[in-house]
Amino acid sequence: MSSMRPQSWGIPLDGDGNVGFYYRFPDCFRRTADGVELRLPRWEGTILAELVRLIDGMLEPPPVDDPLEALVGLRDTAPPPPEDPALARLLPDPYPEDPLASGDFRRRRTDDALAHKRAAARRVLATLPGPDEVLLLDEDAAQDWLTTLNDLRLVLGTRLGITDDDYLDELGELPPDDRRAPFVEMYELLTALVDNLVRALF
Amino acid sequence: MELPPDGKAAAECVTIGIVTATTVSPADVEEIDEELSDDRPWVTVVWNDPINLMSYVTYVFQKLFGYDKATARKLMLDVHHKGRASVSNGTRDEMERDAARLHTYGLWATVIQD
Repeated sequence: MSSMRPQSWGIPLDGDGNVGFYYRFPDCFRRTADGVELRLPRWEGTILAELVRLIDGMLEPPPVDDPLEALVGLRDTAPPPPEDPALARLLPDPYPEDPLASGDFRRRRTDDALAHKRAAARRVLATLPGPDEVLLLDEDAAQDWLTTLNDLRLVLGTRLGITDDDYLDELGELPPDDRRAPFVEMYELLTALVDNLVRALF
Repeated sequence: MELPPDGKAAAECVTIGIVTATTVSPADVEEIDEELSDDRPWVTVVWNDPINLMSYVTYVFQKLFGYDKATARKLMLDVHHKGRASVSNGTRDEMERDAARLHTYGLWATVIQD
């Protein structure tokens, strides 16, 4: 699991030794008496919209191969396990040692799981506030934002090959011209947003 | 299946039937019985991963299972330090539902029999 350890990321530490990560992104979510308020500066909003559009394509339900099953809209045979590691990370296998149970779980649950994630992502995209707007999130909307931001982190983190905490430290020290650098920046934005929203919800 | 043409063949069938029945040893029957009456509880297990945030995982445990913050945090730390933690137990169906809900939140959950 990843902690929010303060890191310098090339920015000099201040007297308290905790400059860096926490302060690179603004607090976008804020708890008020009416719910959670969200303000997104222009850069953050643009990046988020792009990322949510990217994930939307990934959440397409797998095709139903049998023509009759496709016709009646029922899935009688299990879809294969996802080949894309990022999608596999969004759809964990609850029975890794029991291929039969695992297939049966995919047959019964994959479509719903993807539809749930996609619906949340689309609601997030549809309500993304502009740079001068404030979005007030009720409980359901807050959960949409939380799960979508976290799904984006899982996808980006898997694509970046984050397999342990040390590797994350390495990624933080990439030279600016490394092609992964902008994605690390987006990953860190998502990290800040998820942590920020969790704190607003607690 | 063909009908037996005469009494002799019918007798053979009966014999075969008996032989077949006796090949199931008492040990086998016991094993089957054990499997059917296996009431060991099912458990939902959450595994450590390098991406999910500690604060987020604590929040999800509280939200989904109604744990107080101290319990949720202890479970989260178990996942972090020991690599896994059992977060709920019950019937197989209940645990599968719990795992699916945890997957909705992006946690890496599996279902096992204790």
